[in-house]
Amino acid sequence: MQPTNTKTTMEIRLRNLKKCFGEKVAVNIDSYDIHSGDMLGLVGNNGAGKSTLFRLIMDLIKANEGEVIMVGEFQGQPVERNVAEQEDWKQWTGAFIDESFLIDYLTPDEYFKFVAKISGVTDEQLEEHLAKYEHFMSGEVSGQKKLIRSLSAGNKQKVGIIAAMIQQPQVLILDEPFNFLDPSSQHAIKRILKTYHDETGATILISSHNLNHTTDICPRIALLENGVIIRDIQNENNSAEKELEEYFEINE
Amino acid sequence: MFEKNKFAKFLIYFMFIYYAALMIFMGVVLPAGLDGSMASFHVLDSGFFYVLFLDFWARFLLQQTPAQQVKPLTVLPLKRKKVLDVYLIRAGLTWGNLFMFFFLVPFAFMSIFYYYGWTGTLGWLFGWWLLLVADSYWYLFCRALIIKNMAWVILPIVANVAIILATILPEKNVLGDFFIDWMEQFIFWNPLAYLIPIAFILIFYFANRKLQAGMIYNEVAKTEEKEMKHASEFKALNRFGIMGEYLKLEIRMRTRNKNVRMSFLLGIGLIILFSITVSFSDVYDGAFMQNFICLYNYLVLGVMTLQSIMSYEGNYIDGLMSRHESIYDLLRAKYIFNLVMLILPFTLMIPTIVSGKISLLMNLGYMFMVAGLIFPGLFQMAVYNSDTLPLNTKMTSKTNNWVQQVISLVVLFAPILLTQLCEVLLGDVWGYVVLIVLGTIGIATHPIWLRNIYKRFMARRHQNMEGFRASRATN
Repeated sequence: MQPTNTKTTMEIRLRNLKKCFGEKVAVNIDSYDIHSGDMLGLVGNNGAGKSTLFRLIMDLIKANEGEVIMVGEFQGQPVERNVAEQEDWKQWTGAFIDESFLIDYLTPDEYFKFVAKISGVTDEQLEEHLAKYEHFMSGEVSGQKKLIRSLSAGNKQKVGIIAAMIQQPQVLILDEPFNFLDPSSQHAIKRILKTYHDETGATILISSHNLNHTTDICPRIALLENGVIIRDIQNENNSAEKELEEYFEINE
Repeated sequence: MFEKNKFAKFLIYFMFIYYAALMIFMGVVLPAGLDGSMASFHVLDSGFFYVLFLDFWARFLLQQTPAQQVKPLTVLPLKRKKVLDVYLIRAGLTWGNLFMFFFLVPFAFMSIFYYYGWTGTLGWLFGWWLLLVADSYWYLFCRALIIKNMAWVILPIVANVAIILATILPEKNVLGDFFIDWMEQFIFWNPLAYLIPIAFILIFYFANRKLQAGMIYNEVAKTEEKEMKHASEFKALNRFGIMGEYLKLEIRMRTRNKNVRMSFLLGIGLIILFSITVSFSDVYDGAFMQNFICLYNYLVLGVMTLQSIMSYEGNYIDGLMSRHESIYDLLRAKYIFNLVMLILPFTLMIPTIVSGKISLLMNLGYMFMVAGLIFPGLFQMAVYNSDTLPLNTKMTSKTNNWVQQVISLVVLFAPILLTQLCEVLLGDVWGYVVLIVLGTIGIATHPIWLRNIYKRFMARRHQNMEGFRASRATN
């Protein structure tokens, strides 16, 4: 686990990355670098390949071609890892993509404790970590005797996001983090992610259909269409919002 | 997908034929083996309930309750009770109730036919059919209660144990003698003899009708238990660090998920049944049968739970796979959990060991062999299992791929061959000593072979994860 006040570096390099499902090309990226400390928003219509790209980065599916390489520093040592060839990059990477990340027969607290223990996080560190999310959990997640499977979709989402951040990862990947959340929780998670990014310098990747939220927190946005990154947009003071609205034909 | 279905169908037919052939073989061979002071069919009749117990527990894997079947029809303009009647009658008349006939028919022709010809054989088989139908209704009744509350699983277990104890505890097996006399009357087509199963059928038909009618609504409006009454922290396991966390996961998986719990309890039930049978019954006092039951007593739980190793984890495999070496730690915890579970059959066998019926050395030999030689075989399934099994929702029969089938068959039959070989080549004492030594080596080297399994699992990870995801979607 990285100390909160230490800035970390971890870059993700996508090289000649291709994933096909039968005839359909889901991801096709020649070369793309997600720089250390980037907070990258991934946007695109349904089927654009956002979740597939995340799964490729997490080595949960096999690429037909190409590779995902993480380059940076871990515990003071320089590292360069092809995610399909080694496994230790999981120590500095946290992710929540969907419910298949959750062990639904545990209570949220049991799940947090499990994730903490296997990630080398002490009970005290976990307690400290959860305290930060007290407002986000709004009394409906921690301290409950409900199993995760009995929680609402929104609360499951909260459990997944919090668990992904327990080990204070240098790379954080969240697929549709605003889904199922009520407005105040959406606001809270935006604040949490921003603070986490500012404090740790972690490389954060989020995908979302919510353009406002994405442009609010992501200084860099990648627009995906049919598996190809068609635009790499620098977003300063929400400058990308207009370009994205035009692309998605929101105001027509 | 179509090809996969075709392959699955082929496997279903293959397994059906395989088990049918096995039963026919038993039916042909067993009469000669049981013939002694009593005719072989008398021996079977005196212990007919063992066949019914087997039939009863096997139904958990294959037979749905009418309430579950009626559920999709509740949206149609049909009277629920009438639909229920149709399904209940169908449960009685289904061909599935005749599966045991693959064993009973050859058995009858190899025994009864010689003495009583066609009429006697048919009368006996007709009686058996009524008993199997009665068993079907008894199963449906118990299953409905168990769905309501898991604690009801105790009912069939108590019933089974009570009947076994009633036949083996008294010095003279009065009940067994009664069973022989009663079932002999099937051979003579005595209507009074048939009244017993018919009365049983009627009682449980109407009991089911009442119970299941109430359950249809529950099935339709099925809700998850919202809050747990008690959630143990298993603090004692904290001292084992990461391993302790995975052990907690193993325990919670078995206690909080219906399907896993059912399979686990079934295994425990069989261990108790085997132990009681060996301890108190003299029916299986032959050396081979004692060896057989004792060995499978240690083997049964492992086979039942490890055959589908990783299949339940398929529900959250992405979460596990996104953690560093979590699968290796999980496999280690599974191994340790199964090692600890071997204490149960050993403890239950202590009375038999003390009474001198079975030697301590034999028990240790089998226990170590299962722990150090058989478990490594069963754990190979972790590399090949790629179908997610639902943790709670109704599980229809699942088929395994051919690698799994081969491993299952080897694991089921190799131990008995190995033990027999050791005994023949080395004699009783040295045979068991060799098994203990080999088993100890297997246990001591578990980090090595588990690491090997883990590496092979990782080599197949994408293929397996794809399978887990695809089957999760269809569950």
